Amino acid sequence: MSVVERLKNVAARSPWLYRINAGSCNGCDVELATTALIPRYDVERLGCQYCGSPRHADIVLITGPLTRHVLAAAQRLFEEIPDPKVTVAVGVCPISGGIFRESYSVCAPIDQYFPVDVNVPGCPPRPQAIIEGIAKAIAIWRQRL
Amino acid sequence: MNFLSLFTRNLRQGPYTEPFPFAPAPTPKRFRGRIAFDAKSCEGCRLCEKVCPSGAIRFERTPEGMTFDCWHDTCVFCGTCEFYCPTKSVGQTDDWHLSHAQDQKFALVEHGLIPNQICAECGAKALATAPMTANVRPPYSAEEFEHARALCPKCRAKFLKSRRKS
Repeated sequence: MSVVERLKNVAARSPWLYRINAGSCNGCDVELATTALIPRYDVERLGCQYCGSPRHADIVLITGPLTRHVLAAAQRLFEEIPDPKVTVAVGVCPISGGIFRESYSVCAPIDQYFPVDVNVPGCPPRPQAIIEGIAKAIAIWRQRL
Repeated sequence: MNFLSLFTRNLRQGPYTEPFPFAPAPTPKRFRGRIAFDAKSCEGCRLCEKVCPSGAIRFERTPEGMTFDCWHDTCVFCGTCEFYCPTKSVGQTDDWHLSHAQDQKFALVEHGLIPNQICAECGAKALATAPMTANVRPPYSAEEFEHARALCPKCRAKFLKSRRKS
């Protein structure tokens, strides 16, 4: 095993999560908080941890329908996250717009602006569904590393 | 003493964390998850399409009949379609395993087809929907229901009228 491969294996242990609230109603954010903080679900078993800075993140969780007001800020944040990153759209709003789909102030679906990898539909998705989505994102992230 | 009882209880019960990604997770019985559609019992009233707040349900006329499509990536799982459906042919299951990769985005659709049929009396082409039963007094017997199912809307109306007279 070469040094690079060994380094990859070491680095692939703990993907850190970063949340971008792109105009969400907070329902999905509450579920994301529940996923991490309540011992019943506990996403940290998978080695994930929420981090405060986008520069430490590996997996981006985007909630909300991407309002026009927050678009520029979200794009700036997204560019600060180092590659390889995996984007997870949490909730129905970022995937298709959901009930906000044809609003003038909403830029949903977000895959027009961000390269989305995993979608987790639900309004809001239950914590187990989010964990399932994060597990899929980790698999994609391991391939990209 | 309290910590001892807690300690023994925790030893007995094991960890509180659900082992979900590595083992199946418990799901509540009435969980509102993935939409299921039964084309056989559908009356074709399209009420679910009208009441759907997120526009997830769409009916479309095709040469084969009428298709039902529910896209789960825009459905908000509110259950309004099930509430308004007169026959409960649109319903919610407790399946919540909906996360998917981006290339599967437009594949997450519940699809159904109400086919065309030839009317048993006049021979016209019409949809093979279930006959409406809400305002039928006295209610249909099983044979009458099957008879009405084989008719086109006009012949169903005639059949209902003749039933009322007799």
